[in-house]
Amino acid sequence: MSDLNTFREETRAWLLEHCPESQRQPIVKSEQIWGGRNRKFPSADAQSWFEAMSDRGWTAPTWPTAYGGGGLSAEEAKILQQEMARLGCRPALYEIGIWMFGPALLAFGTEEQKLEHIPKIVRGEIRWAQGYSEPSAGSDLASLKTKAEDYGDHFLVNGTKIWTTNAQLADWIFCLVRTNPDAPKQQGISFLLIDMRTEGVSVSPIELISGESEFCQTFFDNVKVPKENLVGELNKGWDVAKELLKHERAMMSSMESMSEKEEFSLVDLAKQTLGVDAEDALNNAEVRTKIAALDMEMQAFAQLNERMFYQHKAKQSDPRLPLLLKHIGTKQLQRKDELLLEILGNKSLSWESPASSHTEHTVTRNWAFDKAHTIAGGTSEIQLNIIAKRALGMAS
Amino acid sequence: MIFNEEQSMLQDTVRAFVQEHAPVADLRAVRADVNGPSYNLELWNQLVELGLPAVALPEQDGGLGFGYMGLLAVLLETGKTVMASPLVSSVAAATSLIQLAGTDDQKSLWLPRLTSGEITATVAVQEGRHYSLSAMQTQLVGGEIKGSKSMVMDLAEADLLIVIAKTAEGKLAAAVLESSKADFDAQRYCLMDGRKYSDLTFTQTSVAPGNILGEGADRTAEIEQALNIATIATAAEMVGGAESLIERTVQHLNDREQFDVKLATFQALQHRCAEMYCQLELVKSAVFSAFARLDRGKDIHKAASQVKALANDYYQHISNEAVQMHGGMGVTDELDVGLYLKRSRVCNQLFGDAAYHRERYAKALGV
Repeated sequence: MSDLNTFREETRAWLLEHCPESQRQPIVKSEQIWGGRNRKFPSADAQSWFEAMSDRGWTAPTWPTAYGGGGLSAEEAKILQQEMARLGCRPALYEIGIWMFGPALLAFGTEEQKLEHIPKIVRGEIRWAQGYSEPSAGSDLASLKTKAEDYGDHFLVNGTKIWTTNAQLADWIFCLVRTNPDAPKQQGISFLLIDMRTEGVSVSPIELISGESEFCQTFFDNVKVPKENLVGELNKGWDVAKELLKHERAMMSSMESMSEKEEFSLVDLAKQTLGVDAEDALNNAEVRTKIAALDMEMQAFAQLNERMFYQHKAKQSDPRLPLLLKHIGTKQLQRKDELLLEILGNKSLSWESPASSHTEHTVTRNWAFDKAHTIAGGTSEIQLNIIAKRALGMAS
Repeated sequence: MIFNEEQSMLQDTVRAFVQEHAPVADLRAVRADVNGPSYNLELWNQLVELGLPAVALPEQDGGLGFGYMGLLAVLLETGKTVMASPLVSSVAAATSLIQLAGTDDQKSLWLPRLTSGEITATVAVQEGRHYSLSAMQTQLVGGEIKGSKSMVMDLAEADLLIVIAKTAEGKLAAAVLESSKADFDAQRYCLMDGRKYSDLTFTQTSVAPGNILGEGADRTAEIEQALNIATIATAAEMVGGAESLIERTVQHLNDREQFDVKLATFQALQHRCAEMYCQLELVKSAVFSAFARLDRGKDIHKAASQVKALANDYYQHISNEAVQMHGGMGVTDELDVGLYLKRSRVCNQLFGDAAYHRERYAKALGV
């Protein structure tokens, strides 16, 4: 038996032993475990599952064991993912630190910074927020104005960040700040870590069209930040940001498989809602065709990800392919949302009323919320610019 | 999901050969010779010398053992110059049919001659305007074929003609005829992709029992599988064509200046090219996945429909965009882009159009 087969057997046995039955049910949003000083576990089972995973470093399977990670190879991590999917294990930890910030800190942080922050991310002790966009700096992120002035042993930060996801719950925030106002836009930016408990930091939530308020605006009013919280070199924060953005886009493209939200099968919902004929075919031929057309494209997207995985494994990665993921993934997700609304008909129009079911309300709110995906983390238009220039080499 | 070292080397070899010896000009020559062969026989003989007819089959069947992924590597490259060849009709369709549905005797009679390139074969499956296996009416009953077939590829060059028909029980059967000796009417014509096709009429064509693949056993599943292989092979060639079109279009936009700037600097054009490229990599991934499944012995019924519907829609879109973005030159016959446009529409009709495959996929999906 090959090493990987042994690993698969052992992993499966370990998961069966440590993942309680209750943690092998589809996740609902209220039971997701997010990190943080104030983290709460919805049940004893959830806590024991989380602790088993974080003790092994499997909340961050591929990160080095020196910082508390799992130390797995890409192949092993894929096996872990497959076995968790097979058994229906819930993700043990939801955390921006795992998805985005951690990989960037591992690439750019000092040894002290890694030892200080990475283990706490793996163990879900600290919840991170992202401070990138500003009210006047969206797609043109590099025009950001929040400034950090050098005061010898510390920076003094003033400004505001918008779309700071869950900032009201976060313990720390990583920010892009202007440290040199005279340099060309991207060359005067630094990457700074700020403890949300510092005096002068305040947060106010923003209500979205989905009714949710996960996004916030965060204000910095004469906030003192120690010098050791600078990641990467002074005025080289854009490099760190680019590294991080790669992980963010990869994450957003796989939003659906993250099962952050309740998801619904197009086929099942369509059959229940629209009915089937004697041959078990959907009554509505047009919806039937639309489902088939979308499903085959979603399959192709999964196959693109799979192809990239095998390329990576063979060290033959095509650098153009990751550039496509965010645009394709988010566009497909929105198409699926629109089709679900079409299937539910006027039952999809209720916001919160006894006229519609939990499922119907959730579909509708997902539809509204997912409009953000083609905007956040670089709009689709920016993605297409990048594909044209970097993948196709079109003149600019 | 990706090529191994041998398959990559094969792709490099075929790419070098095709780019040097089979540029689009070769298809123009085939097209101009209205009464000539459907493909350049001399070029085909050179591909035979490279061993291409044997590329996919396992060694015990006289193949080279590259797997169907090896055939994919070949088709992606021949598709790039819209090269005319019997790779789909003979290598993907007919050879797979015999290998999958034939008895040991039938295989040893025909496979060595096919894999050595001594003979080629083609398949008559489509009827009427649209490909549809379920609507097929040609009958093979009592040792006689009755019915008509349309859009048969490369018939004049093929030594063997395999006719797909329905038995009295409604099963699929495949009859192998020697195309020069068998009794049927054929009408040969050119289509807009520059190749020659034939419509066939069988009034009472007799078939010896030994010429029916499987010799009486039900081979419906094997025949469907061989046709699935032909379907994804067609799609693979289309992907090669679409890739070349995107390259040509981007090149043109980077070269051509209007209003004192390169056309490529216009965002409206950049975004449309980027969308085309997304489509290309999606369908390419689907094609790689289908061929990989095939080599792993997994079912490709649903995959074949996925791949062909996507290839049809995307190649159609990409070829339309390529014509538009080449401006006035795009609608001239002098520019090669028009040949890809026409090839895309012909490929759409081979082994099922997008509507057919979406419907078939929907059934497999359970809606």
